[in-house]
This record gives sequence, structure tokens and C-alpha cells, in this order.
Amino acid sequence: MKLNKKSVAHYALSSPADHTGFLRTWGGPGTPPIPSGTGRKCWFVLKGNLLFSFESRESRAPLSLVVLEGCTVELAEAPVPEEFAFAIRFDAPGVRPHLLAADGQAAQEAWVKVLSRASFGYMRLVVRELESQLQDARQSLALHRCGSQKAIAGRSKPQAPGRWSPGQENGHLRPRDYSSVDCVEERGSKPVVRDLPEWELQSPASLLLSRGQSPVSPETSCFSTLHDWYGQEIMELRRGWQQRARGSPPDCKPQERP
Amino acid sequence: MRYNEKELRALSRQPAEMAAELSMRGPKKGSVPKRRLVKLVVNFLFYFRTDEAEPLGALLLERCKVVQEELCVFSISFLEDPERKYHFECWSQEQCQEWTEALRRASYEYMRRSLIFYRHEIQKMTGKDPLEQFGISEEARFQLKSLPRDGWTACLDSQPDTLN
Repeated sequence: MKLNKKSVAHYALSSPADHTGFLRTWGGPGTPPIPSGTGRKCWFVLKGNLLFSFESRESRAPLSLVVLEGCTVELAEAPVPEEFAFAIRFDAPGVRPHLLAADGQAAQEAWVKVLSRASFGYMRLVVRELESQLQDARQSLALHRCGSQKAIAGRSKPQAPGRWSPGQENGHLRPRDYSSVDCVEERGSKPVVRDLPEWELQSPASLLLSRGQSPVSPETSCFSTLHDWYGQEIMELRRGWQQRARGSPPDCKPQERP
Repeated sequence: MRYNEKELRALSRQPAEMAAELSMRGPKKGSVPKRRLVKLVVNFLFYFRTDEAEPLGALLLERCKVVQEELCVFSISFLEDPERKYHFECWSQEQCQEWTEALRRASYEYMRRSLIFYRHEIQKMTGKDPLEQFGISEEARFQLKSLPRDGWTACLDSQPDTLN
């Protein structure tokens, strides 16, 4: 099977690495299927979900590559009384586990920890979680700003109808759907003041309840007056949102290009 | 460089982000376009002969550049050799756009940059480090200084503050 090895090797050498260190390794061509002996000491480099080994710290060509997907990393028994061994085991049938050993317990634990979290899937999980936390943080901030009665300035990013609904904070989006990730890339070229329309989709009641302060200008003596006053603003904004949702497609979504 | 083909073959059988039959042309001079089943799984692009179960090959998508070459055609090249391009012809411009966007975001490095960006933003806004709950806040790979400084990386410092 072909692989763009040259590019892979360049990636292996690119800095910074995620984790590095000397490890003893068993396996590789010409070695018996059951590990024995003291193994071979190599310099290991973790980059993303790829584990590379090198002859030495100064080598420019990787000896081997292990793709850390669909595997688990566990403490293991080494063939010789080596106390700091661990194994990378694959879920797929017929794929040999990789046996490795560190110099000491701290190194062994560090490697097991970092290799267990090296998969692409794990990263994706963390990124999505942070995306959703950022939305939450932005919503709270936007609400505080409403409380001080600033007009919502700038252009809101239009969202496709049905993608967000009131109260849904954790959008289950694949990374490529998430519009603000697109905008991270494109921000350099577009002078957009990104407002966050998500807060607009909260119900007026929750908006009022979550606002801790009273506004300055309308009469605040009566709650129903307050309610009506803010209610008007909410209705305006909702109308605007609905119009935009029915109108032109958003800038950053590939599937809605005309 | 040795690698276990079985590991990669097993990976190629995992659920794909995207898969389609496209016309693929290798980077060598004089190569002809051939119909291939192209499958994006994590940060690898596998390509198969359309009637075979095992992949012909794989491209690791780290440090790659994805460019729209002409209508319906995009190319993938790599940082260390930008002239060496793999060309892919799609069935429609829409499909071409979809693949271009997906491949640009398919790398581990892209996800790392996104993660660092979100972490930085959340810290600015809330004063708290969101990675602490995962117990990974000290990991070298998530620090701002871990971003590679080369021309192909979007520099975080130049992102304007969106909440101004």
C-alpha cells in the first residue's frame, strides 16, 4: 500500500513534538512474533496521532510509524524483568500489539497517559466541547451587554433555520459544519463584526430572568411595564432573525452556494 | 520507514468523514487520471480501485495545501514540495468545494489550532482554563507556544477580538 512517506517523515521531524523520549521496543522485521530479550532502545516522537521511532535523537529518517487509531494503551509485562512496560493494542483482529518500555515509572505513566489521548477522535471530542463552552460564554457575555442596553451592533451571522433552537446549547455538529471555525480561517479577509445571534433564540422569559440588573431608562417600578418594554425589543429582534433565516444563505457554509 | 500495513488497512475500513468516486491523477509527470474511490478517515485520505476492498494507497493530510485548481478540480500538495500535486476531479463544483473545505480541516494540526484558539478565547472571557476539567491543561501540545511558526499556519495573534 502506498503512503506519502516523504511528507510523513517531514511531519515527524517538524517541531514541536507532543512527547518524546527513549523507549525500549520489541518487534519489527526479522524479530520473533513473541517478544524476547531486552529489546532495542530507540528515540520515540509522538506527533498528533502518530508515533515515530528513530535510531537516535539526531536521526532525520524515522525507523517506524505507528498510527494511534483504534487502539488502547495499557501497562504490560515485558519479556525480561523490566518494570516499566506498556503495550499499544489494536481492536482490529490480526494486528500485533506494540510492546514498549520506559526508563522509570514516571516516564511510563506519562507515555501511557499521552498515548491514550493521542487519537484524532479524542481531539475532536475536546474541540467540540470547547466550541460549546465558548458559545455558552459568549451567550452569557451578550446577555450582560443587553442588560446595559447597548444596541446590538454590526451584522449578525445568518444561520440556517432549524439548526439552532431555543435552549439547545450543545449543537451536535460535525466540525466542518461549525460556522465559527470557518470564520477563524476567513477572518483575515472579511471585515465582519461578528455578532452572536444565538442569544436571540432564547425565549423572552429566560432572557429577562437571567438578566440580573434593571435597565436604566424605562420605568422600572412595575414588572409588567418592564416586561412589555423588553418584549418589544425581543419581538423586533426575533422578526429580524426570522427574516434573515428566510433570506440569503450565510457566507461560510459550502452547501448553500448558489 | 516501516509501518504496519494492517494498521492502516484497518483504519481505511473505519467510518469515513467523506467518501466519493473521483478522478485522481498522481503527482508524477505524465500520469493519467484514474477513477478512484476516495475516502477521508481522520487525517488520512485513502484511495481504492473502485472494485477493490483494500486501499491502493493513503495520503497523510498533515501540512498539506488544498487548492482549487479549476472548475471541479482541486489539488493536494505538501509543505516540503508544493509543486508536487495530486489532482482530483469532482462531478460538480459543489462537490469540489465540499471536499476542499473538508480536507483543509482534516488535519490533526488544524484541530490543535482550533482547540488552542477556543481555549484562549474561553480563558479571556471567563478567566478559567477549560482544559483543567479534562486534566490536560499542562500538556505541551495544547500550549499557545506549541503552534508551529511557518507560513502555512494561521497565526492566532492576528485574530481580531470578535466581541469589540
